Amino acid sequence: MHRFFLRLHERLQLIIIASIVGLCGGVGSVALNRSLAAVFEWLDTLRGSWYSFLFPAVGAALSSIFLNQIARDGGGHGVPEVIYSISQRGGLLRFRSSFSRLIACLLTIASGGSAGPEAPVVISGASIGSNIGTYFRLKDRQRVIVVGCGAAAAIASIFNAPVTGIVFTLEAILGEWTAVNLIPVAIASVVGTEISRILQGNQIPFQYHAVAISPWNLGACLGLAALTAMGSVALIRTLRFIHRHAPKMIPITWVSAAAGGVLVGVIGLGFPSVLGEGYDVIRCMIAENYSASLLVLGLTVLTKILATSLTIGSGGSGGLFAPCLVIGSFTGQFYHRALVTALPSVSWAGGGYFALLGMAGVISGVLQAPMTGVFLVAEITGSYHFLISVVLVAVISVTVSHFFEPVSVYHQELVSRGELIKPRTDRQILSHLNVLELLETDCQIIHPEMRLKDLVSMIQHSHRNYFPVEDSQSGEFLGMIHLDDIRAYLFDPYLHDTILVEQVMDRDVPRVSLEDDLAYIFEVFDKTHSWSLPVVRDGKFIGLISKATILDHYRKELLVNEEI
Amino acid sequence: MKDELLHVYRNTPFGRETLLNSIYFCKQTKTSLKVYIPEHPQFLMYFQNEIATVELDRAFLRSPKTAREHAEAIITENGMKPNFLEPKRFTASTLPDIPVDFRFMTCPRSISDLSTKISLGHIGPKVRSVIKNAAFPVFIPTPVYKQWKSIAVFFGGSHNAVNAVKLGMEISRCADFPLRLFTQAEKLPQSHYRKILRENHLLGEVENGEIEWIFFEKGKFRENLFAVPHDSLALVGAYGHGVIKEVLFGSMMEEIQTILPNPMLIIGPHCACG
Repeated sequence: MHRFFLRLHERLQLIIIASIVGLCGGVGSVALNRSLAAVFEWLDTLRGSWYSFLFPAVGAALSSIFLNQIARDGGGHGVPEVIYSISQRGGLLRFRSSFSRLIACLLTIASGGSAGPEAPVVISGASIGSNIGTYFRLKDRQRVIVVGCGAAAAIASIFNAPVTGIVFTLEAILGEWTAVNLIPVAIASVVGTEISRILQGNQIPFQYHAVAISPWNLGACLGLAALTAMGSVALIRTLRFIHRHAPKMIPITWVSAAAGGVLVGVIGLGFPSVLGEGYDVIRCMIAENYSASLLVLGLTVLTKILATSLTIGSGGSGGLFAPCLVIGSFTGQFYHRALVTALPSVSWAGGGYFALLGMAGVISGVLQAPMTGVFLVAEITGSYHFLISVVLVAVISVTVSHFFEPVSVYHQELVSRGELIKPRTDRQILSHLNVLELLETDCQIIHPEMRLKDLVSMIQHSHRNYFPVEDSQSGEFLGMIHLDDIRAYLFDPYLHDTILVEQVMDRDVPRVSLEDDLAYIFEVFDKTHSWSLPVVRDGKFIGLISKATILDHYRKELLVNEEI
Repeated sequence: MKDELLHVYRNTPFGRETLLNSIYFCKQTKTSLKVYIPEHPQFLMYFQNEIATVELDRAFLRSPKTAREHAEAIITENGMKPNFLEPKRFTASTLPDIPVDFRFMTCPRSISDLSTKISLGHIGPKVRSVIKNAAFPVFIPTPVYKQWKSIAVFFGGSHNAVNAVKLGMEISRCADFPLRLFTQAEKLPQSHYRKILRENHLLGEVENGEIEWIFFEKGKFRENLFAVPHDSLALVGAYGHGVIKEVLFGSMMEEIQTILPNPMLIIGPHCACG
């Protein structure tokens, strides 16, 4: 089978695999969706009891125990892991990630934790893609695309939104829009959506009946965009704060998750709409069946931000898509209520319209991905009628939130560790090279007690300008001689017998090691204006690394990238 | 590939013995020692087409404050320079990625089991995963530090076994220790194995006496293992026969390692040695 497969054209290979990955990713998403609905329904009968506020704690603790002790799949909420794998590891992901996050997320959300199922389905789909790609022995660059296919299929399937799947993958996961990426990703997305439609029916998650939009409403979008940007920044910062401090306060992960769950449960006693994924509340708002005071709406926005940060930041498992939609819809409702109160004579579009715009604004701001926000809202409501307003809110929200938080929530962890490498950048090309493969070992070693005469005769038969100096007893690297250092003495034969190497060698030469990455080595080159640097390990010289060799390899790597 | 041996340090008396074994191995093979002191219960190794998740038992994370100090003292006392690996990349904040471009790696027979069980049973699944995917041979030390003075290569004719012979010769020349080749005839004449050696340009060394070839035509393999000197490093090729054969008949390497208490060097299917 492998032999037959390898004979096919590369693009055809990708299309076939994208279809398989789309199928698997779609089934995974539907399975999680159905399981969530079933467990939520089962727990619904117990929700009225006094102890129900403990449900999120139990769910988060079980989720953490399952993830860390049973599945042993430690890590964050998943999407950064996928991006890291694409950015630096040729799309390799562990097989266990294809199911572990789904189960952990099921436990967290069904018990009332404030999170969404999207990030777990993304890592699940991506992991399925990665392992199928490995099975078919794809090259790294092909496997990266297949990982994207898995993510696209998962998002497309869970929202019944094929275009969102494509856009999200290209914008937030792969980070580049190329035809090579687009075709397989689109196929996977379509297959994933179809699987969802076959198994669950062609449901529009938040059906919206369009109303007339006056210019006043378009103007009001500007204010809503600013408000959703603030909401996005607040969510990112609260989540980051809790994620950083929770392990320090409670080092045992499942206890930390349980503590977060207790707090979420307590919040849920006052604001039940913050519990779970919260799609029912959004449906009510969009159908104009939700009524609450301005104060309650404002407080719900803040408590949802807190509940989500507590759930995910303390160790629960889940994604940010659903909470962003809930926060956005409440922000929109809040803004609408404020407008109606302040300017009652203006004919405002309904609260549902502003709730939709709020959703687009918050998701775009948190993900720094405006197109994902626009297409998600358009597809999950089944309406492109208000596209201008959605684009306006999404774009302004991204611009404003970018000012305060320049990095997407998915990229923050990677950026803080210096591990985000964007495709087709100088850093990406350098990351494919390592010191070992660039090492020049055909150097002529000299010793400090050598006379200049001996060095001159060595130079006559050498093609190098740099000569490393080693201690003749211990073999320790002592320094270097560059031709320029001795040029003045070369043409004076009287000095050849009197000058020793140790008198003219450079002892303060900067040195690098095999572990150093090329970005750092280039910094040293720039700082010291050198063309070659000695690579030293355990105090011993093992070779030279030169700008010329790096440039040669860099160019080859660049050509490979261009072919792709 | 870096000319280094990767050692994952366990700050216990057992870990000291393992480290001493690694130091001795490095001295004999003229390899540098790179020590990793884990701070998290797991680490990942990204191989060409597979990720090995290595789960460590609690003993690896014990007394982190004294771990570095103890390791430094052991290495310095034995005349080597302490050289520690600091992970530069992380898949997640608690999941470091360990480089895989070493020449050798030391693995106790099981990384994840209790140290009391080590070397008594089969090798653990994590070690197996490393052997199956790594481009470097895996050194499985004895539970208590023991010097080896000769090299024993198990040669069954597979590609991995040929690599084991080549590596054995390299170590033998480097350490100046005698090399013996052990072959158990499996319904095949000696000429079959001789042909394989000839095809791989290894027969000359056997004929000129550089390699002593011990060929078992009779007896059970388990019983014949008694002929392997107690103070030899055993080199074995692993997982060279495909999944079906290994499921049906078991892996020869796994059989050897359950019987033989010697330090072993396992050459996996992706090994770039030889």
